[in-house]
Amino acid sequence: MLSPERLALPDYEYLAQQHVLTYMEDAVCQLLENKEDISQYGIARFFTEYFNSVCQGTHILFREFSFIQATPHNRASFLRAFWRCFRTVGKNGDLLTMKEYHCLLQLLCPDFPLELTQKAARIVLMDDAMDCLMSFSDFLFAFQIQFYYSEFLESVAAIYQDLLSGKNPNTVIVPTSSSGQHRQRPALGEASMLEGVEASLFYQCLENLCDRHKYSCPPPALVKEVLSNVQRLTFYGFLVALSKHHGINQALGALPDKGDLMHDPAMDEELERLLVQVPGLVNSVSASPEASCLPSRTPPRVASPWRPLHHSRKVDAESDGSTEETDESET
Amino acid sequence: MAVVPVPLPSPKMAVEKRRPAVVPVAGFTDSGRPTVSRTAAGAESEEDFLRQVGVTEMLRAALLKVLEARPEEPIAFLAHYFENMGLRSPANGGAGEPPGQLLLQQQRLGRALWHLRLAHHSQRTAFNNNVSVAYECLSAGGRKKKPGLDGRTYSELLKRICRDSEAPEEVVAPLLRKIQCRDHEAVPLGVFRAGMRTCFVLLEFVARAGALYQLLEDPGLAAADRRVGQAVLDTLEGALQAGDSDAAAPARYLEAGSRLGPDSLALAMDRAVVARRPGVPMTREEFLEKAAALFIAKVKPVG
Repeated sequence: MLSPERLALPDYEYLAQQHVLTYMEDAVCQLLENKEDISQYGIARFFTEYFNSVCQGTHILFREFSFIQATPHNRASFLRAFWRCFRTVGKNGDLLTMKEYHCLLQLLCPDFPLELTQKAARIVLMDDAMDCLMSFSDFLFAFQIQFYYSEFLESVAAIYQDLLSGKNPNTVIVPTSSSGQHRQRPALGEASMLEGVEASLFYQCLENLCDRHKYSCPPPALVKEVLSNVQRLTFYGFLVALSKHHGINQALGALPDKGDLMHDPAMDEELERLLVQVPGLVNSVSASPEASCLPSRTPPRVASPWRPLHHSRKVDAESDGSTEETDESET
Repeated sequence: MAVVPVPLPSPKMAVEKRRPAVVPVAGFTDSGRPTVSRTAAGAESEEDFLRQVGVTEMLRAALLKVLEARPEEPIAFLAHYFENMGLRSPANGGAGEPPGQLLLQQQRLGRALWHLRLAHHSQRTAFNNNVSVAYECLSAGGRKKKPGLDGRTYSELLKRICRDSEAPEEVVAPLLRKIQCRDHEAVPLGVFRAGMRTCFVLLEFVARAGALYQLLEDPGLAAADRRVGQAVLDTLEGALQAGDSDAAAPARYLEAGSRLGPDSLALAMDRAVVARRPGVPMTREEFLEKAAALFIAKVKPVG
């Protein structure tokens, strides 16, 4: 059907919006690195496979980080690949540390920066005890926000710092709420009460940011929803709320809802089929195949007989967005 | 380091193999093939290489197609584009006996269809270009075939276009009868172009009519109130007739548009419900058939 907006854009803007040139350039680079393939299969076939793999999202596997983060589609594809490859970690209920998750990420992207994994872990662990264990789903959803919106979050952090120190970063005049501008740093005694920044002021700044931000932002309406539920909040409180918001997860479109995270019958079938073909594994089919490729240290089991999934979903519904530590019940 | 986990959506071995193998990807190396023959590329610069093997030209053409058609999903469009190109060149894949006459004909139809669908018919220039290319595809001479497009191929193509759409057969059949040519007749480009455009416009018209019906339909009955359905059809007919009047074209379009505006439509529907008694409900097929008939009545027959 018609979509006049797309058709009315100038050529170059249309191409930039869809990242066509990024993929064309990359296709040529890949072709140059694999010249022997084209003599065998032909150029058209090479390009067909390249662009098909981009559509399917398999093009980011084992690629360098700069490429993986180059477009929103690449980021979403990477998140999806990470989920699909290591879903069984969550299914088994294994809890891993930040470093272990980082190893998993590096299996898919060898030069994945540690900094990004650390930032994601900080969302789950609230800035303390960075060697704590995290559940797969907690890490995955925090990682999703941190990785997909990483530029946006950097700007948000700057705004937050400005607000915290009493500056108004956007020079937006807000006649009704002066607290942000004139507030003195709280005395130690009331620090716990006045932790963070005022939510409505924070939102005004973020709304402004979303308007002019050239990278991906979460939908402003959903950010508003997140911020309208609270009076004040801290930076990490905000990130936790974003990572747990299922609307934002849906808008991003890379991962299923939290409840369906472990549910993928087609993939399970495929796994079964593949496992039968591997002679060494047949005896241990019940165990996860991925367990074998995890870093050798097996994390200690916290609660020995892991609760089956359908029980834990009920718990999920009750948990609010304010868990400060990895909550076993949420796996 | 262990083997990279296998469970990926659909492991495209060939594609993954070409990624720079920074990780030792044990599972993906195909021992049957000679590893590298990079010496051939030797000293030539990459740009020269790309030009020599035709990559530059190929990508330029692809990019032009993308810009012409402005597809919603350009990457899928490109995958499709190159796939079609790969099928066309005999050097790839088709290393067997030459295809039979029938198969050749099918391939020609497929290629023509692909060109026709590259751009929406409202993008006039792009669509017309693609129609011309499709026409050339179909009228290329073969060993036994004289150049030129015959009525049989043209009708076959029209049928394929309609069959691939969601429009019911009996709805579009009257149009096909009107714009088809005789099997042995030669079809000139003008007739071909008009036929293709009419066909695509009708299919979109039917799709929209289907959406309209959905709004009228009572989900419980799986049918619409006849009074309302008929009122909508009458309004549609009135609007189409407004298009026939002697006034200048832009004025006619405005007139037709205003008759179809939500307010006049609502008024007509309201009046119909009040004035008449409920009759037998109207089914989707009936509604679509009647709507399409209004359109088809305006189409001039070929010849």
